Amino acid sequence: MAISLQKGGNISLSKEAPGMKKMIVGLGWDVRSTDGDGFDLDASAFLLNNTGKVRSDADFIFYNQAKSADGSIQHAGDNRTGDGEGDDESIVIELDRVPADIEKISVCVTIHDAEVRRQNFGMVSSAYVRCVNADGNTEVARFDLSEDASVETAMIFGEIYRHSGDWKFKAIGQGFAGGLGPLAKNFGVNV
Amino acid sequence: MAISLQKGGNISLSKTTPNLKNVLIGLGWDARSTSGDDFDLDASVFMVGSSGKVRSDADFIFYNQLRSTCGSVEHTGDNRTGDGDGDDESVKVVLDKVPSVIERLVVAVTIHDAQARNQNFGMVRGAYIRLVNIETNDEIVRFDLTEDASVETAMIFGEVYRHNNEWKFRAVGQGYAGGLHALAVAHGINVQ
Repeated sequence: MAISLQKGGNISLSKEAPGMKKMIVGLGWDVRSTDGDGFDLDASAFLLNNTGKVRSDADFIFYNQAKSADGSIQHAGDNRTGDGEGDDESIVIELDRVPADIEKISVCVTIHDAEVRRQNFGMVSSAYVRCVNADGNTEVARFDLSEDASVETAMIFGEIYRHSGDWKFKAIGQGFAGGLGPLAKNFGVNV
Repeated sequence: MAISLQKGGNISLSKTTPNLKNVLIGLGWDARSTSGDDFDLDASVFMVGSSGKVRSDADFIFYNQLRSTCGSVEHTGDNRTGDGDGDDESVKVVLDKVPSVIERLVVAVTIHDAQARNQNFGMVRGAYIRLVNIETNDEIVRFDLTEDASVETAMIFGEVYRHNNEWKFRAVGQGYAGGLHALAVAHGINVQ
């Protein structure tokens, strides 16, 4: 039963999807129908150790670095307009393959060139980010970006983290000022 | 105490104004101070369902079709110059009477004869959309359009929409260079 998160909402993966091994983070939105620059939303993931930072820049998975060194995380590619049905971008995470020293994976969404294009999530139609259990293709959690992150341009959607041998998901839904660069810096990436 | 929204922002009308029944959507802009043809801005409303389209041309409320068949949406008439204080054009909505299949009331403004007069929204000053509780005359929310010069001749100012059983308002401020034609086609109107 997919949970539709409000800002600040929280779910326990071990309750919602016990034993999940492979999780897909899906990002979707509608193509712009009004005039102006298209909306280019980007999904990204940061592999974090117990300091809350990446071990190296290789732990930053995004459109220009689609695979983690150990192959546990794979970004399916950049969609620049929102064209196409279903998820427009996705990141597949194979939880069993995530290195032991990675404590947390932070999943984020940013609008490309938001400042220059003067865009925010509220201007985009039907923008959402969701977590899907690949086994059974069941949606575990979803966040409505257009509605609940409306004046934001970048957002930390949630964290997948280890807890007593289980993987758990905490929905965060917190806006981040400045975009992908500052966000990456925040996690210790050399930008 | 009116809330001022920025572009892309939204608020819950049901939360800010519980029991809101009759809403006035007011639109305003400054009359032209420089020489040239007056700006004749026209307000219109597209009543759309989940498809984002109207059910029929009767769901397009504008100066030549002032009232929706259900009576929930009523345009109060054409202002051709922007003259006068306060709202230049307005639309009244009786929320309870909006048919349940209608999910959004898209409030748009178009520049009459934009092509012929060589006008666009970049030249218009002081444009805003606001919602007023008709019963109390209190302004609930306002969105001031303060964009840089733009080439649009038709603009969606805002939307009154349903979400999770509430009525909400979103500040849109996005438009079409193609004018009323492009706007109407985008919402499913049969345009010659």
